Amino acid sequence: MTKPRWFPNLVLTRHVLFAIVAGGVAGVLFMVFLIEFDHYTSTAEFCTTCHSMKIAEDEYRQSAHYRSASGVRADCGHCHVSEGIFAATWDHIKGAKDLFKEIKGKLVGPDYDDPVINALHAPEAAFAARRQFRANDSANCKRCHVLDAILGKRPDTAAIHREDAKGKTCVDCHMNLVHRKVPDEQTFKREAWNRMIEAEFGLAPGTADRLLAE
Amino acid sequence: MTHLLRSALVSLGALVLVLLAPPAAHAAKVTLDRSHWGHEVGEKCTSCHEKASAGLTKQWQDSAHAKAGVNCMDCHQADPKDVDAITHEGYVIATVVSPKDCGRCHATELAEQQGSVHAEAVALIQDKIPALAHNLTGAAMEAAGCAQCHGSVVKVRGDGTLDPATWPNSGIGRVNPDGSKGSCSSCHGRHRFSKAQAREPSACVRCHFGPDSPDKEIYEASKHGMFYAAQRDEMNLGSDTWVAGKDYSAAPTCVTCHMGAAGKLPATHDVGMRNMWSLNTPVSQRQHLVVFEDGDKRELPDTVEAPKRGTEIDKGNGTVGKVKAVATPERRRQAMSSVCLECHSKPLVTDFMKQFDDVVVLFNEKFGAPATAIMQDLYARGLLTPQPFDEPIEFTYWELWHDEGARARHGAAMASPNHAWWEGMYLVGRNFYGRFLPQVREVAGPTEGEAIVRKHLADVAGHAWLAQPQRTNPILGYPPQPAPAAAGGAAP
Repeated sequence: MTKPRWFPNLVLTRHVLFAIVAGGVAGVLFMVFLIEFDHYTSTAEFCTTCHSMKIAEDEYRQSAHYRSASGVRADCGHCHVSEGIFAATWDHIKGAKDLFKEIKGKLVGPDYDDPVINALHAPEAAFAARRQFRANDSANCKRCHVLDAILGKRPDTAAIHREDAKGKTCVDCHMNLVHRKVPDEQTFKREAWNRMIEAEFGLAPGTADRLLAE
Repeated sequence: MTHLLRSALVSLGALVLVLLAPPAAHAAKVTLDRSHWGHEVGEKCTSCHEKASAGLTKQWQDSAHAKAGVNCMDCHQADPKDVDAITHEGYVIATVVSPKDCGRCHATELAEQQGSVHAEAVALIQDKIPALAHNLTGAAMEAAGCAQCHGSVVKVRGDGTLDPATWPNSGIGRVNPDGSKGSCSSCHGRHRFSKAQAREPSACVRCHFGPDSPDKEIYEASKHGMFYAAQRDEMNLGSDTWVAGKDYSAAPTCVTCHMGAAGKLPATHDVGMRNMWSLNTPVSQRQHLVVFEDGDKRELPDTVEAPKRGTEIDKGNGTVGKVKAVATPERRRQAMSSVCLECHSKPLVTDFMKQFDDVVVLFNEKFGAPATAIMQDLYARGLLTPQPFDEPIEFTYWELWHDEGARARHGAAMASPNHAWWEGMYLVGRNFYGRFLPQVREVAGPTEGEAIVRKHLADVAGHAWLAQPQRTNPILGYPPQPAPAAAGGAAP
């Protein structure tokens, strides 16, 4: 078997060739795994394997993103996991903190499965999600929503999006679409929020502050 | 002597209060310079809003505010720390614009409005709401009924939204998230805030209408309303100054008499200041208007001596305030009458007021006071449960003073003979004799009932006719008795 003269003899041994082929196949398989992994781990089915996410899911099921007239349904990951294999994987690595918090909550608290705890922490979760939407220029919204296609039901909806939305990103105006309504961070008042949650769950005033301090 | 001196001083104080207020013949001109408004960000709002809420934007664009350069943010700006602050398109705003917000420029109007019967309209009914709105109907009526006129106590929820049980609301005494009381847009419809619109009688009609306060109907049925309807185009409603007798003389509107400038009398945003009587109580009282140093006000019956300037008295809400001035009932009447004098002679005004006062006194003495005393007696004897409106007589008593009695008194005050009589005092009489007294006898039993009725009516001259059941009158078809045949005498 003759080899081309330019081929470095020393390198291309049979083992090396095997390694390249095997590595390539493994690599492709790994990529396929990641795609499937990212895909599966972006579904509500997966997300709600953590109990605390059931609360978020209940809200989601009442929202227009779940029950849209057009039949288009956004799943958890469509909004909360970036598009593209590397970005999606990175988001999942970052998102693993939720898993650790869930486990830690079960062991030492706070237990996010508890609807009261969950509601008390909801604002910070919302602020973090909004920061992410702002950081990537609402990229996940734009997976489905195309500016040129926004016509709306009212005559001027299209014009507002064309003219007045310039320099803004979707989440600047559109928030609180799916989960419990949380005010903007700038005008959020923890004190008022705690009192509201206490009233909602019939708790004595001050309970919320104690739960948050624990 | 000291009493006289004190009265004189108090009157002087009231005089100063009434006459030396800024001699504004209209809503006081804003004296601030333009640097106080024209918020930089506020110029941008209309770009979206003329698309998203075109009507609202157009109203503002047509307003005096827009012409003067007062934009959305000048009124809606908020501090992030404000309880009702929200972030809107990246800017901190508040939905509710309170009198305090308007008062940043319209300081005179705010000072006058503060503590007025309008500003305190929530406190007026707060203890009645559970019995009326909640028991009789349901809490939904508080938001859709009571609070739409009197005002809601606006509640901001923990998520920054306004509780729909309390908002939307433009009730005149609305308790705002910033603690101020009132809603300027109750009369000055947003977002045009037109002078002319607020001077129209229709500005008052949303609330001063219907069985318990038919002021719209009374006004329309009066000569004043007649002239207004016929000569509305001569009212000069859009005029910058609006002094009765000077800028217009075609007709008076509600504003003219209760708030408007006339002669030397300045305009005021304290709509109850010129009212001498309390007309919406079981028994009307002549009232002092006590003004405190901090701007709060309190009505005090003139059965108590007017408090001295500088003394500290209960403000009526449990807190104590220092008296700044007192307007006696006489001063208040004088202020009201000075409006009349722009068109009427002094004797006419004095005698008209006498006719009005006589109706109030008649209602008080013949119906209001005895009915109230009888009810208290029935409660004291345990013949009625303390719970209001679970017994028919309680409705009868309530409507006697709150609806029919109020109509009669308002009708007399504003010169609608039909409201004073058929819609008012006639019904008071019919229901007093035809429903109330029979129900007293029913509740207490014939013997005790009769005793209660006698006890409370015996000294009231107006009821003496009941003791003459044989007297006749052809009104119901019963023929007059022939004159007793006198022996030889001829009937005159």
